[in-house]
Amino acid sequence: MPNLLELKEVHAGYGPRSVLHGVSLSVPEGGIVSLLGANGAGKTTTLRAITAGVRWSGDIIFGGRSLRRLATEEIVRAGIAHVPEGRGICTELTVDENLKLGSHLRRDGAEVRKDYDRVFEYFPVLKERRKLSASTLSGGEQQMLALARALLMKPKLMLLDEPSLGLAPLVVRAIFQIVKSINEASRVAVLLVEQNARIALELSSSAYVLEVGRVAVSGASADLKDNESVRRSYLGY
Amino acid sequence: MQEFFQQVVSGIAIGGIFASLALALVLIYNAMGLVNFAQGEMAMFATFVAYALINRGMSYWIAFPITLVLAFGGGILIQRLVIKPVERAPVLTLVIITLGLATLVNGFAGFIFGYVPRSFPSPFSADSADLFGVFISYRDMGVIAVSGLVLLGVYLLLQRTTVGLTMRAAAHHPEASRLLGVQVSWMLALGWGLASAVGAVSGIMVAPILLLEPNMMQSIIIYAFAAAVLGGIESPLGAVIGGLIVGVTVNLAGAYLPGVGGDLQLAVGLAIIIAVLIARPNGLFGRAAIRRV
Repeated sequence: MPNLLELKEVHAGYGPRSVLHGVSLSVPEGGIVSLLGANGAGKTTTLRAITAGVRWSGDIIFGGRSLRRLATEEIVRAGIAHVPEGRGICTELTVDENLKLGSHLRRDGAEVRKDYDRVFEYFPVLKERRKLSASTLSGGEQQMLALARALLMKPKLMLLDEPSLGLAPLVVRAIFQIVKSINEASRVAVLLVEQNARIALELSSSAYVLEVGRVAVSGASADLKDNESVRRSYLGY
Repeated sequence: MQEFFQQVVSGIAIGGIFASLALALVLIYNAMGLVNFAQGEMAMFATFVAYALINRGMSYWIAFPITLVLAFGGGILIQRLVIKPVERAPVLTLVIITLGLATLVNGFAGFIFGYVPRSFPSPFSADSADLFGVFISYRDMGVIAVSGLVLLGVYLLLQRTTVGLTMRAAAHHPEASRLLGVQVSWMLALGWGLASAVGAVSGIMVAPILLLEPNMMQSIIIYAFAAAVLGGIESPLGAVIGGLIVGVTVNLAGAYLPGVGGDLQLAVGLAIIIAVLIARPNGLFGRAAIRRV
């Protein structure tokens, strides 16, 4: 399958502190790829490089086109929905307004309405709370809102930064199930950053493990899961 | 009692003017986290533009919207040329820049139009209507109507349109908005344009009362600060209600408190600012700022 996203020897950092030392990875069209690793390994920075949230060098190709010198807004408009660390919910706005921000650039009105129906099917709780301030939602509900909003952007690729962070195991299960449904129903590719390697490997078809800014191991998720030494040394379970 | 009501209505009229300028301050405060000290001077300059248009024979009600459009464009231009290059500078730097901008616009107005106070036309008759024994001037009613319409328009724009939604999102959550494809920088420029146009309304409304000259807005901006602070500095609704409260308070103080008269009214405005900051730093509609440290 052709690659939708490809990172080639990406170096990135904040000011003088460099975090990524030549990361190469690829996400196939419609695929789910996990990006694993310990705290500070550079997982979040990798996602931020893709949407121009941090300075980088090397090359990032999305849909056959280099993202070099593009601003965040342009990259997003090209079809990448990035659910950042902390979920990026606009807590000053209502649930409905947050969703509208997801779909505000789309011109395919009928399709948008269908996507709203789908979103409310996945997350009925959001429909109940439409008029409420997003700040009143629980952590799990905010994560659902972030996913719903990303879905409404009708992206080709979703970047999810630790969707499980701070959530109860049951909620995490439900959210990952929905990510899988979204991926299957609309062929959205997903690049998933997770601390929780076990659940991420179940969902994804391939995975990369970062260690201090470099890819230490990569391969099919099933192989990594079964590889005793990889599990012990990198994934910690 | 009758006089009291008349004073209240005049207070609401002047309060509507304060409210417009206070709303302009709030719009910019929300967009960049600081008060634009040049807001009053920008409004004064726009009023001079309206004056020049009317003086060339243009009718008031044509010159008025044209001025607002020009003020809107001017606000965007100032944001692009002056503010955007220093967007990431510390707050104090930006404060100094808006102070400098105020001085610059003031001097520029003086250079072009001179310092001789000029009378500015009011489109409303100077007569009064008798409403149940209370005499209310058409001017007060007109000012209330115009301010009310402008504030309503801004409300509808911000709350009911997609552009308004993206402007609010960009102001409060720039990072998250960028990830949703919002062109944050342009939204902030639109905020400046909108603030500049709303401020211009206050200048045009107050000019017939005060006489037009480059320093015309220097007392009005104090009242607008008082109104914005009272309303909680980041709440547009708060700015409007704050404006009305300050207008009525100042007017009643001028009429009834011995010694306040016209001269000490400004002190009342400053007293409101100090009292709010001591008693209720978040204003009537503001929320305590919560920061993770």
